[in-house]
Amino acid sequence: MNFYRSRRSARRPTKRFKSHRPIWNWLFTVGSVLVCLLLLPTRLPGMDILGVGPNWLLVWVVVWSIRRTQFDGAIVGIVLGLLQDGLTGNFPTHVPGLMLAGIITARLHRRRFVQVDLISVAIIVFGLAIATESVMALQLAGQYLLGEDALYSSLSSIWQYYQRVALSSAILSSLWAPALYYPLQQWWNRYETK
Amino acid sequence: MFALRRWWDKNALRGVLILLAIGSAWGIRQTNGTLIYEAYQYVTKPFHLAAPPRVELDNAYVLDLQQRVVELENQNQKLRELIDYQQDSELDTTTLAAVIGRSADHWWQQIILNKGSRDRVKAGDIVTGPGGLVGRITAVTPSTSRVLLASDPNSQIGAKVSRSRSTGYIRGEADTQATMFFFEKVPDVKVGDVIVTSAFSRLFPQGVPIGRIASIDLGNSPAPKAIIQLSVPVSNLEWVSINPYSPKLDVDAAPAEIVNDPE
Repeated sequence: MNFYRSRRSARRPTKRFKSHRPIWNWLFTVGSVLVCLLLLPTRLPGMDILGVGPNWLLVWVVVWSIRRTQFDGAIVGIVLGLLQDGLTGNFPTHVPGLMLAGIITARLHRRRFVQVDLISVAIIVFGLAIATESVMALQLAGQYLLGEDALYSSLSSIWQYYQRVALSSAILSSLWAPALYYPLQQWWNRYETK
Repeated sequence: MFALRRWWDKNALRGVLILLAIGSAWGIRQTNGTLIYEAYQYVTKPFHLAAPPRVELDNAYVLDLQQRVVELENQNQKLRELIDYQQDSELDTTTLAAVIGRSADHWWQQIILNKGSRDRVKAGDIVTGPGGLVGRITAVTPSTSRVLLASDPNSQIGAKVSRSRSTGYIRGEADTQATMFFFEKVPDVKVGDVIVTSAFSRLFPQGVPIGRIASIDLGNSPAPKAIIQLSVPVSNLEWVSINPYSPKLDVDAAPAEIVNDPE
């Protein structure tokens, strides 16, 4: 980890954008986000349980943050949260959930609680999928407790729906996490070692 | 000064990139993801269905007609009693559209259709399918539109029991169910009754079938409620029709002006 970090921070300020290669890196990164966004509305066979699909953006945030700083993780969480809001609706918002996911992933790795491999990424995604859905459910519960015009008629209906969504989203996201983790990590490794 | 300069040199590019990323994400959010849905439509085009499957539609269409007949019979009966009955339950000519996607998150019940503003679809139009009401269009891009399903908690629809005209409103509850809250304390309702949209509904035309009553809870406080089984099979819906409709958002009259006597 320190190995990667020290080398990257040494490279970053000087070499970026002096050759053509960083452009490709950025294009690949943005392109992979676009692919995730296009995957969100699809429900391919084998990719949904009870009508719930994998949370691709969460997987992307975890893969991005796992070797980066908390700040980078938070920024990417905000950006992807805004994008997902654009695709669905403004309340409840995805920004805090994904931001939290980015920060926690970066922290976990920095403290060396986990190693970077397929299994641990899948486990982190499982936990954070439940965490992000909890943030969404908490927003709805908060609206129910504070506001007058709540979307759900009772806390128990939120709780019921939350259980279903959190579990199926967590299982599917963690199972599909390697599909995103592997190519992205390979690319970033290659780009950084060149 | 030098330190500041060095810091700027080091971080300027990074800051600009961060601002750019957040800015464009914000822009996409403000435009309801137009760019992404257009790209989605383009990418998934080869997989779109060629033509509506006639036979499957027919079966569901018969069910739709049955429910409409029940509704029409009741309306006829009322017509004899009411002279000033306004016939505005007719839906206008429709556009057929294919379902090309589902909601991009689990907390929303939405579907994506392959017709947009290029086919003169606009936000507020009503979407019906084999069996009755599907939902309402909330956002359009040039070639896609996003439908908020009747089963989403955001959807609140004024509804009535077709047989007895007991009125209330329906709120989505995920999946294929919705909850109906009655306005009366003791509504005339029984399991199996057909529910249609009522004239109180601002966002929907009246008389569109929604579903049937699955169970009733008369003891609920403050108002009795019932669980509605929505009649449209949303989970395997492939084709829907879009009916142009303008929401009656201006039903609230402007406050009356107080006219002072000139004397």
